Amino acid sequence: MVVKCEDVWREISNYFEGDLDLALKRAMEEHFARCHHCRAVLEGTRNVVELYGDKKMFALPAGFYPRLHGRLADRVEGRKGSRLGWLVSLAVTGALAASALFATVHDRLVPQARAQMSQPSRRLPQHLVAVVDGGKTFHVPACPFMHGKYRMVTPEEAVREGYAPCNRCMYEALRTAGNVEPDFEGEEIAAGPMAEN
Amino acid sequence: MRNRDWSEAEATSVSRSDPGHEHEAALIVRIQHGERELFYELIRPYERRVFVIAFTILRNEADAEDAAQDAFLKAFKHLGQFRAESRFSTWLIQVAVNEARLRRRRSHLEIMQPIEDQENEDGTYTPRDFADWREIPSEALERKEIREKLVAALGSLAQKYREVFVLRDVEHMSIEETAQALGISAGAVKTRLLRARLMLRDLLSPGLAGVWASPSQIPKGTKPWS
Repeated sequence: MVVKCEDVWREISNYFEGDLDLALKRAMEEHFARCHHCRAVLEGTRNVVELYGDKKMFALPAGFYPRLHGRLADRVEGRKGSRLGWLVSLAVTGALAASALFATVHDRLVPQARAQMSQPSRRLPQHLVAVVDGGKTFHVPACPFMHGKYRMVTPEEAVREGYAPCNRCMYEALRTAGNVEPDFEGEEIAAGPMAEN
Repeated sequence: MRNRDWSEAEATSVSRSDPGHEHEAALIVRIQHGERELFYELIRPYERRVFVIAFTILRNEADAEDAAQDAFLKAFKHLGQFRAESRFSTWLIQVAVNEARLRRRRSHLEIMQPIEDQENEDGTYTPRDFADWREIPSEALERKEIREKLVAALGSLAQKYREVFVLRDVEHMSIEETAQALGISAGAVKTRLLRARLMLRDLLSPGLAGVWASPSQIPKGTKPWS
C-alpha cells in the first residue's frame, strides 16, 4: 500500500491513537521515512500533544481548593438552612436590634452635653452647684463668670443634664476644699468677668 | 442531571471489575444514604479537570472557577440521577460542560466565536507549515509566558475544537468518554481532534505568523522556548 501526503494528514491523528489497521500504519511509516514534510507534521503534532498533556500546563488558581470547599460546605455539610443555623441567625439579629433600640432610648433619655468638649466629671463637689438654663457649665453660686437666673442642683444632676464644671470657679472650689483633686484643668480667674455660662 | 445527549448504544459499558469504578460506586451509594461528607472524596480526583474544561469554554479564570463550583454543587444536588452505567467522571464533566456552556450563552460570548467555527469540519485540513521542531523541552512549561502562549493558541481555536482537544489530549479521557461528555459521536471527536491538533501545530510552528511568532517576543525562526 502506498499513501500520499494528503492521506497521511487525514490519518495522522488516528496514527497517534493507534487506531489504524496494520497495513495503513506500515504504509504511513514508510511515507514518514521518505517525506520530510510529513515527518515534520508528525513530530510537530506529537510535540503539541505532549506539551498540552503535561500536568504543568494548566495550573489551578491560588486558593481554588479552599474556595471550592467553602462553597460546597454549605450544601454538603448542611450548614445552610439547618435549624441551628436559623436559631443562631435569629439570636444575632435579635441582639443587634436590641442594641440599636437601647442606643436610641439612651440617646433620648440622656441629654446631649451642652458644652462641646464636656465630659462627665468623676470628682464632683459635695455641695449643690448653680446652673443657668441655656448655659453650658455649672458653677459655685458666687462665680463671676455666671450670669442670669440660676438654680441650684446637685453636681450629679448637673452632669446628667449635660453641664460641665466651670474650669475656673469649680476648679478652685474643688482644690481649696482639699479633699478632692479636680480631674480637669483649671484656669486662673481673670480680672474681669466673662459671660460664658 | 440526565445523560440525555448520548444513547445507550454509545455509552461505554464500564467494567464492573474496575476497582476505581467500584470504589466510586460504593462512595455514591454511601453519599446517597447520608454520608454526605464523602462527596469531597468522590470529586477530589476531578477538581482540576472540571476547572480546566470550564476554563477551556469560558477562557476566563474567574468565570471558570465559578462555573466549576456551580458544576460541583449541581453534581451533588443531582447525584441521585447519576446512571451507574457510565463513569462518574464522565457524567461530572458533562455537568461541567453544560454549566460552562450555559454561562457562555448568558454572557453573550457566543457572538464572538472565532471564525473557524463557521468552517466545515469535514473538509481535509492541510498543514500550513512544515518547519521542523522536534525537541520537546518540557521544562519550558515552567515559564509562565510559554504557558500563556500555549493557552492563547488553544483559545484561538473554535470552541468545538478546544473542548475535544482538552478532554482528550489535556485530560487524557478516551475518545468514547470525550464523546459522551460532549454529547457527540466518536467519529466527530476524531475529526475535531485531528483538526485541533494540526491547527495548534500550525499556530505554534516557528516561522509562521502564529501566536508564538510575535516579533517583539520571539524572533522569527527560533523556538519559543529557546
